[in-house]
Amino acid sequence: MAISLRNLSVNYSLQQGTAHALRGVSLDIEKGQMHGLVGESGSGKSTVAFALMGLLANNANVTSGTATIEGKSFDLTKRNATADLRGRGMAMIFQDPMLSLNPVFTIGTQLCEVLRRRTPGSDRKTQGAMAEDALAKVRLSNPGRRMNQYPHELSGGMRQRVVIAMALLSEPALLIADEPTTALDVTVEAQIMREIIGLRDRIGCAVLLITHSLGLVTEYCDAISVLYAGEKLESGTVRQVQRQPGHPYTRMLFDCEVPIDRERHADASQNRFTVIAGDLPDPRRRPPGCIFNARCDVSFEDCAVVSPGDYPVRNDDSHSARCLRLATP
Amino acid sequence: MTDAISISNAELRFGETAALDGVSLTIPQGTCFGIVGESGSGKTTLMRAVLGLQKLDQGEICVLGNPLVPGRAALKQRASFIQPIFQDPAASLSPRSRISTMMNEVGTVLREPHAALFERLGVILNRLGLPQSVIEKYPHEISGGQARRVAIARALLMKPSILIADEPTAGLDVSVQGDLLNLLQDIRQSDNITLVIISHNLAIVRLIAENAVVMRSGKVVEGGEVGSLFKSPREAYTCELLAAWPSVTRAPALNR
Amino acid sequence: MSGIFATLKRICSERDGRLGLAFTCLILMFALVGPLVSPDPNAIDIKARFAAPGLAHLLGTDNLGRDLLARTSVGTRYALTLAVIIVVISSIIGSLIGIIAGIVGSWIDRAVAAVFDIVNAFPPLILAFALIALYGNGSATFVLLVTVVFIPQFGRMARARAKTLRNLSFIEAERMLAVHPITIVVRHYLPNVAGPIIVLASMNLPVVIAFEASLSFLGFGVQPPKSSLGTLIKDGFISINQSWWPTVAAALVLAIATLGATLLGEALRRVIDPKSTRAR
Repeated sequence: MAISLRNLSVNYSLQQGTAHALRGVSLDIEKGQMHGLVGESGSGKSTVAFALMGLLANNANVTSGTATIEGKSFDLTKRNATADLRGRGMAMIFQDPMLSLNPVFTIGTQLCEVLRRRTPGSDRKTQGAMAEDALAKVRLSNPGRRMNQYPHELSGGMRQRVVIAMALLSEPALLIADEPTTALDVTVEAQIMREIIGLRDRIGCAVLLITHSLGLVTEYCDAISVLYAGEKLESGTVRQVQRQPGHPYTRMLFDCEVPIDRERHADASQNRFTVIAGDLPDPRRRPPGCIFNARCDVSFEDCAVVSPGDYPVRNDDSHSARCLRLATP
Repeated sequence: MTDAISISNAELRFGETAALDGVSLTIPQGTCFGIVGESGSGKTTLMRAVLGLQKLDQGEICVLGNPLVPGRAALKQRASFIQPIFQDPAASLSPRSRISTMMNEVGTVLREPHAALFERLGVILNRLGLPQSVIEKYPHEISGGQARRVAIARALLMKPSILIADEPTAGLDVSVQGDLLNLLQDIRQSDNITLVIISHNLAIVRLIAENAVVMRSGKVVEGGEVGSLFKSPREAYTCELLAAWPSVTRAPALNR
Repeated sequence: MSGIFATLKRICSERDGRLGLAFTCLILMFALVGPLVSPDPNAIDIKARFAAPGLAHLLGTDNLGRDLLARTSVGTRYALTLAVIIVVISSIIGSLIGIIAGIVGSWIDRAVAAVFDIVNAFPPLILAFALIALYGNGSATFVLLVTVVFIPQFGRMARARAKTLRNLSFIEAERMLAVHPITIVVRHYLPNVAGPIIVLASMNLPVVIAFEASLSFLGFGVQPPKSSLGTLIKDGFISINQSWWPTVAAALVLAIATLGATLLGEALRRVIDPKSTRAR
């Protein structure tokens, strides 16, 4: 087990009270695998990344949680618990690559900076060569010229490639990609996802892909975890979850996706889009019972009272879901 | 019957780049038309040109047979023909005005008496599933979903025959985007409105539109009836777009 | 109304805001109540020349034996009134010019921007001298010239805001509804420009007070026998060997007034426009 995250809970103190962004979220990511963390807005999926990286906002408070990365354990409730890992054990790709790139330095300078941190003492020439090689590996066109260019001279897709090259050079054990392709066009998205896969295969790291897109997860990930309103409702391999979603929310989420091959029906009433009715629960007051109860289409009386645990789906230990229907055979 | 929108040879340059490069297309009345393309393809510029928010260097745009001409009278006429639904409809509500104030402005433009206007508004709000109480609120006092509906309600209050929606689902979760799209389909059918959907989301356009065009760097690459356009695209670029689309192909369930 | 109370409450929630509010209230009280309780500011009493502060004259008297408390409070009242009038007029005119230039664009916008830059390029005092040389002394001239000096600041800010607003979808939506342009300006531009303009106005108040005092000190601005903070400091300065308190009293009032208004303006800015605090 390369990376495991146990019982992560994060609160945000707001003017109107304390919002619970995450409640007891646990994740296991295998080395060399891509793990998709799926959730809609307000699910807390980015909070997971920020808590791991120690980049949470000042009003955030980690109330519990430990991370185990390459055998070492980190208590996330302490500030800067994972500071040593930043840039070495862990790397992050943001939705906006400009968050990772300094606008006043050239691409080459920034890539060499990564190398200087990781392998101090190596001479400039080899660093430059390694940086250029990394740019070539992420298939950025004309890497020699790019080394002397500034981030603003590149397109969004090219910048994201540079950030991936930076991650490649830092050889992390865990790469966190937070909506890495949301701002990009579909054709570029496919290329960037291929580069992330290439990076993973090259250095054998674990990848946590945080996204709202089930399409991306089913296409590129090995395992999936579904987050809803700060709780993990289901996790398993993509194949298992896609075949038989254990949680009604996962099933409904899959139903909402519009397949590209769905054809238009001549009778317009047949061209309806699927919707999950209702709203997210108030993050300040968690309702009793199952968190998804109010929007669930198969809930029964106990769902409003009993908080479900994580039950295996189809007696498969690697696939679990937080739904009471699984507890009563 | 005149076309809802007809564009002939629209050209527009921003400095070196051609935002629109000889775009010609016609949108028949009462249909749903999709414009797909990636960022920088010129699809939003085209919408702004149709609305008269962006002047063209060359070419002509007719809305229900009327060419775009400057002047208040023409603007008023156009407003009653065509209404936009912006990318972030919630941001299209003036943040410091009550919703009733904004609705009243429509009444002033239409010279419709207050009572008649608000009677019509009541019916529209009902249809969009909005409580009547939203009228007295400010945009920041209602939820994002409600604001989206209020913006659509205001557009409908103008009794337009064409609605043009720019990336209506951008930034929306899958669980709520369908709600908006279903609503647009309903409105279109019941009011016999011409609906133009501008989107990068091919799957949605395929399902909602009858005809569509694919745009790339200011040009129309390919167009036609959605069924054949997506099933057997003729252009390499359309194929590339379709292939790149990450899709959830549901594996058949073992037992359900 | 509740908005004003909420703003005041938030201003009072920090130290600088409380201090600014206290200073401002102190000066306001002084300007409002002072003239009511003290003797005629222009009554000359040669026998009581350069009287030290005492029971008869709380702040003492000047070279003509006039009561300094009365003169200082009248001067403060005068300075505050002028400052408020000037700031209000220049902010309204500046906003309107700026908004219209920002909306209309094209050569009109460029011309307005150029005029703003030209006015701003002159040091305000030099510009004031030039205008006084042209139009002569007097309160009306004074108000006019300071207003002209301050219009570009408001105009530039309003213009920049209007340019951003013009491309926002709520303004474009109004345009697409064929709402009358005047309605759009009054109802949708003005309220969204008002916030930063109010902050700028409150921060300009102390600048105008000090500007008026410096002009009067130099002998322009307010003319005798009327008193202003600037003339009081000047007159006191001439006879500083006989008595130091007239200068110190007037200067102290000026300092408290500008300090109070500055702190209050800063606090108001933090409340209305919280984003700029982080950038600081």
